[in-house]
Amino acid sequence: MPPLEVILQQAFNGLMLGVMYALIAVGFTLFFGVLDVIHFSHGDIFTLGAFAGLSLTFLWAAVGIGNPAVALLLTFLGALVLTGLIGVVAERACVKPLAKAPPLMTLLATLSLGLVIREAVLIFYPRGADPKPFPAMLPGGLFEIGGVVIRYENLAILAIGGAAMVLVDLIINRTRIGASMRAVAQDAEAAQMMGVNLDRTVDFTFFLGSALAAVAGILNGLYYSEIHFIMGIMGGVIGFSAAAIGGLGNVYGAILGGLLFGVLQTLAAAFIPRGSEFRDVVAFAVVMVFMVFKPTGILGEKTVERV
Amino acid sequence: MTLIGVWVVELGLFVLVVAALLAERPIALGATVAAIGIVAVVARSSARVWRWVTTSFLTHRTGALAGAAVLALVLPFFLRASPYWTFIATMALMYVTIGQGLNFQMGTAGVINLAGAAFAGLGGYTVGLLTVRLGFPPWLGLLIGPLIAVAVGALLFIPILKVRGHYLALVTIAFGFIFNILMNNLEFTGGPQGIKNIPTLRLFGYAFTTPPQLLGMTLPSHANFYYAALVMAALVTWLAWRLYNSWVGLTLNTLRDDEIAAKCSGVSVARYKLLAFSIGNFFIGLGGAFYAVMVGFVSPPDFDFGYSLVMVSVIILGGLDSIPGIILGACLLIPLPERFRFLHEYRLLLYGAAIVLMLLFRPRGLWPATVRRYGLREPAASFGAAGGLR
Repeated sequence: MPPLEVILQQAFNGLMLGVMYALIAVGFTLFFGVLDVIHFSHGDIFTLGAFAGLSLTFLWAAVGIGNPAVALLLTFLGALVLTGLIGVVAERACVKPLAKAPPLMTLLATLSLGLVIREAVLIFYPRGADPKPFPAMLPGGLFEIGGVVIRYENLAILAIGGAAMVLVDLIINRTRIGASMRAVAQDAEAAQMMGVNLDRTVDFTFFLGSALAAVAGILNGLYYSEIHFIMGIMGGVIGFSAAAIGGLGNVYGAILGGLLFGVLQTLAAAFIPRGSEFRDVVAFAVVMVFMVFKPTGILGEKTVERV
Repeated sequence: MTLIGVWVVELGLFVLVVAALLAERPIALGATVAAIGIVAVVARSSARVWRWVTTSFLTHRTGALAGAAVLALVLPFFLRASPYWTFIATMALMYVTIGQGLNFQMGTAGVINLAGAAFAGLGGYTVGLLTVRLGFPPWLGLLIGPLIAVAVGALLFIPILKVRGHYLALVTIAFGFIFNILMNNLEFTGGPQGIKNIPTLRLFGYAFTTPPQLLGMTLPSHANFYYAALVMAALVTWLAWRLYNSWVGLTLNTLRDDEIAAKCSGVSVARYKLLAFSIGNFFIGLGGAFYAVMVGFVSPPDFDFGYSLVMVSVIILGGLDSIPGIILGACLLIPLPERFRFLHEYRLLLYGAAIVLMLLFRPRGLWPATVRRYGLREPAASFGAAGGLR
């Protein structure tokens, strides 16, 4: 049995990954909530977010914004808006037209759209096949509590991710558009009869989810200081797994699932022999076992059995 | 008389396709491709021509099939100058095999399987391990490989039965990733290098690497595999056709369209889903095992998620649940990017875009599945007399 500090340290590291996974998973769960679809290109929207962030850091450097805090804020804002809009375009082009088709069709269409986005980044981003170094924009330094080393940049990642989640929670529960989203999630037809603009609600949901993926993408770049066009495959599959563990359609479930997946992966990497190679195997095996015993997730799916 | 017309149409298409494949200069290539395009457009835009083609092919189905079989048999003679194109034709036939398996799962039974490459990999790796590590003869590996794919598929079936729709997609994707990561990291599967030097197929002392002498002509050695793949694809397609037109196929369609209604009609959902999944995995595993024997080595990148998507594209492009469509899909999707090498970089991008466009504008594929017509094949046939399954 490894000492407690080591376990805590690894759990803290896992939390870092978990925050990113949770941000992606919230997108999956929101889309499922309003349209009953799995938007499989969401993982590649996450990649796009990271690449948009990276390009923006170059832009800010070129126009001479020296202050790292301002540059970081602008990077986040710019990437959020850009990626959000791309998410809306993806929804309009590929998800909405197939919303009434069998689920298999949407699944395949969005999987293929993801492939298109991935390949487009590979081909059209300069030297897209190479991993891109992501500039360090967070404060360095570290401190120690009870044997657990905590870096400031990790705290910043947690804080940014946490703030994004709180913001989403506020939007969903406290605003008018959030009320429309909840209404559509419950019953789209009834919501329309009460005067909810379905198209606008769906667009906003995809904007919000994709913007969250952009946050996750930039955090991913800051954490690993490197991004790669291929990262969306794993990001998407893990984000979807996390949303499914938590229960599709349930925002808190998605956050919980994301954190769980991150911690699980890190602990597997640390404490299983040759774990770093097999961490995804362990994590996915747990997901599969989980699906068998709790097919609708921890907190339960938003679901109506229609006969 | 129309039978001869059918053969002329087939022969004409064959000549155009072979010419397009072998065209060296861009002008010749452009001309042949343009000719194919014009023929297709003319045939589709003129209702009379199209109706004549479809009705005469339907009335002379046996003749048309025989003609197609003859042309498939003589294809290597025309491609003998180019072992490369013989190889690509063999790959297309392999994808026909795999496509029929995947279509039986996804198209006929509605069991989503996004881990096709992993099941093909199970077949391929089984051949590699049995022949290289244990010294089995390749033909035995070719038989055992698909069975391993079926066995592992049956293990995966417990989660598959429990979950539905989106979760099912997740389970199969997760399985595909697990397979790939394991192959990459386990020692006995050779890690990233994979398994090399798989001995070539030998049947009755005839090694498949010797260039065959047929009708006084020497064909490239790949022609052996071409004929083997042709037999395999034809057998699998025939089996798929028989299954599709049996009570099994009909039951699986019912299951796909409405699970609850199927259950109410007394269909054992678990048993039929397992049956469809296993048969499909057998075909997919067979394709993978054949690949291992043909190429002589297997490695993890040959069976990654991208190839699962290529397999899915084949059946979407051809037409879900349409057996002739699968053949068309594989024969289009596999050679086309090889022919247009300058598109090679954009290959996956175009695959992806093609599937998206197909799903948006022609979701039933290029050769859509037709409505089943039990016992009504001949016009005005009495329903009672011909009520049996064809």
